[in-house]
Formats: sequence, C-alpha cells, structure tokens
Amino acid sequence: MQRRDFFKKAALTVGAVGLGATTAEAGTTHQPTDNRKVSKNTFPEKRPLITYSDRPPLLETPRDVFTSVLTPNDQFFVRWHLPDIPMHIDPNTYHIKINGLVEKELDITLHDLKTNFEQVEVTAVLQCGGNSRSAFSPIAGGIQWGNGAMGCATWKGVRLRDILDRAGLKKDAEWIGFNGSEKAAYYETPSFIREMEIEELDDHVILAYEMNGEDLPYLNGYPLRLVIPGNYSDSWVKMLSNITVTKKYKSLFFMDVAYRVPDNECECEEPEKKFKTTKPITKMNVKSIIGYPTTGMTLNHNSHTVIRGLAWDDGHGIKDVMVSVDKGKTWKKAILDDGKLGRYAYRAFRFPFKPSKYGELSIMTKAINKLGEEQPFAKDIKWNHGGYKFNGIDEVKVKVV
Amino acid sequence: MKKLILIALLALSPLVAQVDEKVEVPYIDFPIKMGKEFATVQGQCLMCHSFGYIINQGPQSRKHWKHIIHKMKVAFKAPISDKDAKIVEDYLVEHYGNGK
Repeated sequence: MQRRDFFKKAALTVGAVGLGATTAEAGTTHQPTDNRKVSKNTFPEKRPLITYSDRPPLLETPRDVFTSVLTPNDQFFVRWHLPDIPMHIDPNTYHIKINGLVEKELDITLHDLKTNFEQVEVTAVLQCGGNSRSAFSPIAGGIQWGNGAMGCATWKGVRLRDILDRAGLKKDAEWIGFNGSEKAAYYETPSFIREMEIEELDDHVILAYEMNGEDLPYLNGYPLRLVIPGNYSDSWVKMLSNITVTKKYKSLFFMDVAYRVPDNECECEEPEKKFKTTKPITKMNVKSIIGYPTTGMTLNHNSHTVIRGLAWDDGHGIKDVMVSVDKGKTWKKAILDDGKLGRYAYRAFRFPFKPSKYGELSIMTKAINKLGEEQPFAKDIKWNHGGYKFNGIDEVKVKVV
Repeated sequence: MKKLILIALLALSPLVAQVDEKVEVPYIDFPIKMGKEFATVQGQCLMCHSFGYIINQGPQSRKHWKHIIHKMKVAFKAPISDKDAKIVEDYLVEHYGNGK
C-alpha cells in the first residue's frame, strides 16, 4: 500500500476541518518577505540570526550569507518541531540503536561510527520544504519563512547502507523509521519520526556527525543526523536516537499530514477547494537566490558591480543561471563556479554589471537545471495549503545613485 | 610500533565535544499583545511553543485562527477544552485579527 492511501484516512480526521462559509479568496503568490533583521539574541553556537521562536528554536539565515557555496555553521538555519530538545549530550556515552527486522541488533557509539566504518563526505543543500512560505496568500499554515530556511554544508559520516549491511536486513524489511531526540510537552503529541522506503535509499544517504569540518552544532542535530542529499530537510532527522526496520509503513503525523503537497501535476489547489489527496514533498525543485546586492542597498551609477548568488536543485545539476535587470524582459547568462563540490551542493554564480540608469533597479535571477526545468516568476507559482516548494524567480530591488 | 601506539592512544582518548556542557537556549520575551483572558492564552499556547509562532503569522481571519487551534488539538493533541479554545480564538481575533 502506498503512503497516499494511508493519508486518505488521515485526511478525514485532520484535513477536514469544519469551518464556516466565507467568501472564496483565490490563492496567489508573490516574492517572500525580504526585510527581516537578525535578532539581538544569540543562540548556542550561532551568530545572531532572524529569530521566529525560542521554543522550539526557529532561526533563519539572512540573505547576504548566500554568496558562498558553504554556509558557515554558526549562520546555518535552525528548525525544530517540538519544544523539548536535549541540551546536553555526552559524546562518550551517546549511542544509536538499530533494531526491528535485522539479523543482529546494533548499538553503535559515536566512537564506533568514527572508527569501525568507512568515513564518507558529501556536500549537500539542506532546505526546509516550507522555505519562502511567506510568498503564499492567503497565508499557508506554518512559519512564514523568508528565503533563508536553508544552507549547504559538507557532511561527514557513515553510509546508512553500511550500517544496515552490518546489521543485516531481514527478507521482509521494507521501511526504515528514524527517531530523533526532541520531545513534546504532552505525551500524546506525535513523536518526530520519519520513514523511508528501503528502495529509496542510495549510497549518498549518510548519518553525519560532522558539518564543514566541525561537530554539528547542537541546534543542527548534534551529535548525529540523517543527511539525504537532494531531499527537503524534513527527513533529515536530527539527534538520531534510533533506527527501526519494519515491514509495514507506520501511519505517522509527520509523514501523513505534515510536509505534503496536492497529489496532482501542478501540486496546487485553491484555498477553499483543497485537493483531496496529497503526496510527500521529497525532492527539491530548481531554485536560485541573490546574495549580493540585497534589497534596499544603493549602487553607484556606472560603477562595476558583481551580482552574486547561489543556485541548486535535487542533484540533477544546474545548467545555467540567467540574470535580468529589466524586470524579466531580457535575460543574460551568469558565470557559474566550477561545481567541484558535487551535484548536491549550491552552485555559486556571478554576473558583472554596470548600472547605467539612475533610480530603482530590479535584479532577478532564474536557475535552469540539466533537465531543462526552470524557475517560474513568483506570481506564477501555484498555491498549496502548506506553502511548500516555492521556487519563484528571485528578485531584489536596489537604488542606483 | 610508534604508529601502533598512536592508534591505541586515539582509540582510548575520549571524544571531546565542541561544547562539553549543557547549552542554554535564550529566553525571548516575544511582544505579545496583552488583554483580557491573557492567562488562558499563556497557559494553553505557551506549553508547547513561544508567542513567536503567533506573532509571525501576522493579522489573520477568524477562520485562520480557528484552523490553527483545531490543528493544535487534533494533530498535536494539545488538551485544550472547547471553552478555552473559544477563549483563545477570540483573543487572537481581537488582537491579531484582520477584520475577516
């Protein structure tokens, strides 16, 4: 049975919220909120970031960080689902259990992981499925992120495949559940567990203990998190405590209800007429962001400016980034970096440009991947109830003086 | 031999965390609007999340707030009574409503 069949049942209880009749408002999209300032408060191991909540912590990376391929650990966004996060973990006693349909249950310490398995690295973008959610009107449920619920790091760890091989999968093993360590205030609140079908698993999926050459920050899942390159971050479970192999898919809130889009071709619906079936958000779509200049800056007339930013997709690879300085009428190719950090990493782009007109200037970027998929204009993105997968053409507005 | 000793030492040396004591998440006093029945709102909402979640939504319709409270009850199993749910809804509509 497929996940979506399970969801049909779940939709009856959670999705079908009885609400009074109101006038229908069409779902529209626009550029996400782009003017939020970093907070005065600092969180552990972090520089000041755009702060939506302290419990659970929700932190967004400001736009100007997005000029380099690797996002510094202390500026990397933070998103937790439940309020109670372990705030002290001893790396010498921490261990992760592998159980369920395995030949041999394992209890692996951090030290085992670092010494008894092949060590691998992958550079990959970690992006929240709800990144840029503030682009949706009427607002879609959830945190109204701007563009910075994402980052890219070099993750070091051990292949999930190698760990499962060590444990030995039983014949009827089909699903793997990943349990994080965050806890809710109420016992009945669903735990943050994610599931993957074993056939979805490839060698790029790793359990990572290191990020950009350092321990993972606590708020990014110390001491161990799942890394699933190409996929949205909802499945990259933090502070892993347990991996359980099962035959059957378990119906879980964070799988069946959250992080899903309408199961139709446009992945869209109308606010008053939600689409009945949904599917998981899984793979990222093609997108770009301008890191310099940022909205509100002034550029000097006729001075040489280099527009910089990043582009990415789910691993098919970026073919081109196009830049427009006339509101999308004409486009020119930006220069791409060498891409040597691999197909799951950001590609940095740059575009030398001399502003020749005084006054307001719009700068837009559009990424195109190797499948030929390209970003639509922000207004052409179709609405969905969760505000997921926004990938509109990016735009910043500056003044030329 | 030297190499062997080195490996043995590595195997024995304890792992040292970047931060090897309890980390503290700062408490942020989100500027929630005050009014009658604030105690109920505080009691029901703050158990699971900061007021940042409310403020971040911006002014919204009664329908929106009703939906959010419903989600907290049904999806996240917050034990909010119907009476308190209505109080919270009215509070949000009064202070964070958009007139719809």
